[in-house]
Amino acid sequence: MRIAAFLPELLRSLFKKPNTVDYPFKKLAVPEGFRGTPHLDPDMCIVCRACERDCPAEAIEITAVNEAEKRFRMVIHNDRCIHCGQCVDSCPTVPKAMRIDSLFEIADDSRHKMKEDWVYVRAVIKPKAPAPAPAGESPNA
Amino acid sequence: MAVLRTLLYLFVYPGLLFLFAYSTFCEWFDRKVFARLQNRMGPTHTGSFGLLQPIADFIKLLAKEDVVPAAADKGLFRVLPAFGLAVVSAAGLLLPVWNFDLAVPSFTSFQGDLIVLLYLLSLPTLIIFLAAWSSTNYFSSIGGARVLTMLFGYEVPLFLAVLSPAILAGSWRLAEIAAFYQAKPLLILPNLLAFAIAVVAVQAKLERCPFDIPHAETEIVGGTFTEFSGKKLALFRLMFDIEMVVSSGLLAAVFLGGFPGGALVGFAHLVVKTLFVIFLLSLIRALTSRIRIDQVVTLAWKYLAPLAVLQLLIIILLKGLLS
Amino acid sequence: MKFQIPIGPQHPALKEPISLRMTVEGEVIVDADIRLGYNHRGVEKVAEEKNWTQNLYLSERICGICSHSHSTCYVQGVEKLMDIAPPPRGMYIRYLVSELERVHSHLLWLGVAGHEAGFDSFFMYTWRDREVVMDLLEMITGNRVHYAINAVGGVRRDLDDLQKAKVLEGVKILRERSVYYFRIGASEPSFVARIAGVGVLPLEKAVALCAVGPTARASGWARDVRKEDPYAVYGELEFDVPTADTCDVLGRVVVRVKELLESYKLIEQMIHKLPEGPIAAKVPRKAKPGEVVSRYEAPRGENLHYIKSNGTDKPERLKVRAPTLANYPATVEMLRSGFIADIPLIFAAIDPCICCAERAVVLTSARSGEESIVRLGDLRRQALERHQKAPLKRNAVWPF
Repeated sequence: MRIAAFLPELLRSLFKKPNTVDYPFKKLAVPEGFRGTPHLDPDMCIVCRACERDCPAEAIEITAVNEAEKRFRMVIHNDRCIHCGQCVDSCPTVPKAMRIDSLFEIADDSRHKMKEDWVYVRAVIKPKAPAPAPAGESPNA
Repeated sequence: MAVLRTLLYLFVYPGLLFLFAYSTFCEWFDRKVFARLQNRMGPTHTGSFGLLQPIADFIKLLAKEDVVPAAADKGLFRVLPAFGLAVVSAAGLLLPVWNFDLAVPSFTSFQGDLIVLLYLLSLPTLIIFLAAWSSTNYFSSIGGARVLTMLFGYEVPLFLAVLSPAILAGSWRLAEIAAFYQAKPLLILPNLLAFAIAVVAVQAKLERCPFDIPHAETEIVGGTFTEFSGKKLALFRLMFDIEMVVSSGLLAAVFLGGFPGGALVGFAHLVVKTLFVIFLLSLIRALTSRIRIDQVVTLAWKYLAPLAVLQLLIIILLKGLLS
Repeated sequence: MKFQIPIGPQHPALKEPISLRMTVEGEVIVDADIRLGYNHRGVEKVAEEKNWTQNLYLSERICGICSHSHSTCYVQGVEKLMDIAPPPRGMYIRYLVSELERVHSHLLWLGVAGHEAGFDSFFMYTWRDREVVMDLLEMITGNRVHYAINAVGGVRRDLDDLQKAKVLEGVKILRERSVYYFRIGASEPSFVARIAGVGVLPLEKAVALCAVGPTARASGWARDVRKEDPYAVYGELEFDVPTADTCDVLGRVVVRVKELLESYKLIEQMIHKLPEGPIAAKVPRKAKPGEVVSRYEAPRGENLHYIKSNGTDKPERLKVRAPTLANYPATVEMLRSGFIADIPLIFAAIDPCICCAERAVVLTSARSGEESIVRLGDLRRQALERHQKAPLKRNAVWPF
């Protein structure tokens, strides 16, 4: 038992700079590899739908706009996204069509404004590109 | 001229206007010091350095919906916040700031005003109890019971502690006690123990940590103020702020030599001395954890009251030696 | 005068909804009762609709504080079902994150204990220093709360030398600060007065009521899955299971701080022993039919996942037994003595995670013993009807 055991520490902080940050005005940098918002690079996407299948929040939606022209539309619902980055891991192309940036201030007042969509032609640049939705296995790591 | 002076005294300094402005400043000071002790920022954005934050909070609360419980005693419930505010503001008038003449007693400075001030500072506790009881809520009732239990704990040590400097000065008048210690500043030192006891008791009176038991948030929600909202809560909060100013002013007048030098220099004394007391109060708040109600009573009667009596004995002996 | 006060479902001491119905006589508690079911999310049912990979992230979201615990417990089970062994480097990184999570959870708990006792400075300081470990976790995994580092068959991210150095540096600061907080927590008189001798749970009661984690260890019962049934890398590492024999909240504080120090030891060992090699194994999409029980020592106690597979890429059943659920009977016992002022401290001392422990509720009629299932829509309609039909309360009765 010691009365006022905390006193030296408290008085020291009285003359120190506060440890907190004036948030909306000053921001801390996020570390490298931070999982922010997912994005699509439409030039690389081969429409294998691996990301759509593995997305735990069902935030990715790929629909065919015109099957004959191989035009597809991908919608990322950022309101549902849980920022796990599994879509990036599941993406089989090199370099990856799905990428995740470090943007984290994506809140909005309406969930409908948080959608992002791309309409694009399926890329065929991959030599060993699997046909849509390989049923066998997908790389996990 | 005398009428003008009195009106000035009542409404400007140290009357309502000053008490309102200064109590919000003191709340800001308390919050800022508390935050900085914890390595936080405290109020930052409203006004420069967040100085206007307490006023902003006050106005915000005024604008909020005001709910009166169906089963509450509506008359009491409505009138008590204003009554509490009036009581502490009246107590503020008794502080010997200016407008008193040591030779001639006036209505704000007379023989025995110390007792009246202590009495007026005890009233808010009863008002809070009544407020809690009239709001008919289990949490409020428990809070009200705690308020009264605590009152029996800290009130006696506070009175005993304030008694000893008064005995040494041989007066019941705040202005005379202050003048006595201004003349003999060294005699402040024997009262240090009483000052420490009084600071702890005032902390309890203001219901601040470690004595924030009547409105212990994690135990009984809002405690005494669970049912109060909007204007009434704003008035109660203002009441606590003014009570903090007045009680720290009381401690400054009794223990720290008062506020000599007329209106301007006296004002500087008032600000420095009350802020010093408030700093001590903030420090205690940051240093301790909330204790239980039974521990408050134990602390008060096992340690504070005997120490206060000891202090009284020392002072009486000292007075005998001096005369 | 006896009356019942409702602590919760909405109460400042509770971070999540639960109802503690305390019967009190003045300040003294005479009886306690716990009601659950305010925070049910149907996680187990959702898990049956998602594939093994998706469930990783779902199980992670069972809890916000021990997210990695649930995810690891789940992934251990799935790996057992799929009969794959993750590479050692992956294992070390996975359990390194585990221990970092334990550090963050215990520091968080220390702060919460301080806050519940009204010791706000303690709360602010412990949480300030908790940022160190949060930053480490963010650096390693890419997020502060839901690390998502686990993958079936290993982990998703590697650890480089710079990160290793940073972790060691952070652990050094944290160890120094933890020792300091231990000194403050055990020597500040007003704080000790609040926690010593409060919420007593004797050893025999702890055993009889199946307490887990720090709650059991503070009653002198050295129960730790990491030691009793060493899974993964814990067999290769040296650490002790700290216990206390005071059986009160002070004991729980002591046990948790000592566990922090053990965790620092484990983290340092893992960093030094980190083997080379791949971080994840290749895994099939489907698991063989079978069932498995996976045990994991979460910061709050033993975590248990039961997984049943029917040979598809989705589990047939995922059953979660979170440590908080195991500690509820002991909590009721602890709450039965003491003062109103002790309620938040006693309840916080088990480190409750209420949404972790919310499982499906089966309504049983008290008269006939019949079980009934009510759909959410019906429940809502019933509630609205009842609300509309209820008479206006004009003259509420006040017992005093």
